Amino acid sequence: MALDIKPDALAAVLARTTGADVQVTRIDALSGGASSATFAVKASRDGADWPLIMQCSAAGEPAPGAMAKRTQARLQEVARKAGLPVAETVAILEAEDGLGDGFVMTRIDGESLAPRYLRLPEYAAAREAMTAQCATALARLHALPRSAFDGLPLTGGSPQALLAKSFAAYRAFGIELPAYDLAFAWLKERLPDTEPTALVHGDFRSGNFIVGTDGLRAILDWELGHFGDPLEDMGWLCGNAWRFGNWQKPVGGFGEREALYAAYEAAGGAKVDRDAVHMWEVWGTLRWGMSCVMLVSDHLSGRVPSVERAAIGRRISENELDLLYLFKHGSI
Amino acid sequence: MSGTPSVSQLVDAVRLFLAEAETELSGRLAFHAKVAGNALAIVTRELAASPEPAERAALTALTGQDGPTAELRHELCERLRDGRANAQTPGLVDALYTAAVAQVAVDNPRYATFKRATGA
Repeated sequence: MALDIKPDALAAVLARTTGADVQVTRIDALSGGASSATFAVKASRDGADWPLIMQCSAAGEPAPGAMAKRTQARLQEVARKAGLPVAETVAILEAEDGLGDGFVMTRIDGESLAPRYLRLPEYAAAREAMTAQCATALARLHALPRSAFDGLPLTGGSPQALLAKSFAAYRAFGIELPAYDLAFAWLKERLPDTEPTALVHGDFRSGNFIVGTDGLRAILDWELGHFGDPLEDMGWLCGNAWRFGNWQKPVGGFGEREALYAAYEAAGGAKVDRDAVHMWEVWGTLRWGMSCVMLVSDHLSGRVPSVERAAIGRRISENELDLLYLFKHGSI
Repeated sequence: MSGTPSVSQLVDAVRLFLAEAETELSGRLAFHAKVAGNALAIVTRELAASPEPAERAALTALTGQDGPTAELRHELCERLRDGRANAQTPGLVDALYTAAVAQVAVDNPRYATFKRATGA
């Protein structure tokens, strides 16, 4: 099982993949979700400190429908080699290791708590730099040909298929939220039914970055990567929830829309259709709203009794209000 | 003063306790103590003023029907699902907006969009 990997067993894997003398002295759990767990690994390589991060599927093997960690690792490597700031994968746990599904990457120093890098004065220069850095990263990712991901079992579908899947999930909960139905209906009239054109990160937002005083250092959480419409990433990045209260800065709480679009186009991205980004922002707001529904259902169903999950249910109304604000005022 | 604390006074007392406990805790437990305190603040606000009458009034005016809030909601959701209503339906966005503002007033009055919507 992934959750009781012993330091010596991990050291043996790392020695195999690097050919170096590797010692592992500690493995500490950092966070655990329903499907994956993250660990800080204290290691040395040929005598020098080598801080690492390990991510594993929580049950040892990927949950149904979730991306395998070994796939995520390979996806991250494709992105890193395309010039995106991504932690380098140093080992993928293979079946013969008997340690379950997981991978190990370098640990990148910096701040991952968005409210800190969005507010603290020492990150002012970082905030200034991040709009262009995010735009460049997205342009590079979206420019990759499908063949760059050959052999990776990644999902994908048309925006309409994505919407239909989410609506089915909503209906399966048996709840009635008119603001959500309004948004589903609005999106159904507008989202294209086109086949995917790019690999999208799927969770590209403040909260999934490591930020230094110099700006964006690493893009995290690639497990929602899929083939889709590149503007999905753009709309998600601009969602109000990911501004962490800095609503005046629509790009992740740190930047301006037009600067993002200009930098994306300058970095080789396709010309940005503003109305389409707005549509994807509505989608992103609804999608985060659906996440709140799913998280509170973990508590209400008794699957994961938790005051945190219970309280998230009272964030559904924030998403309803954001959706209605978008419809009433045209932007948020 | 009857000497018997009201429900909201009891909730306030537990909030005070959680705030005190939070300072003695760390990590996940401290975080959950904070979340629990926030949840009790929602309880306090809802005991003082339920958002339901505002939603019911808005949905009654919009649908032209009378009944329990859940039924009015269901009616509106059905109309949105089969295309009888959409974002262009007169009064629809405004009615839902009013109901959402009332709900966020209870759930999280510090939310940025709530402050923008109410000029707070």
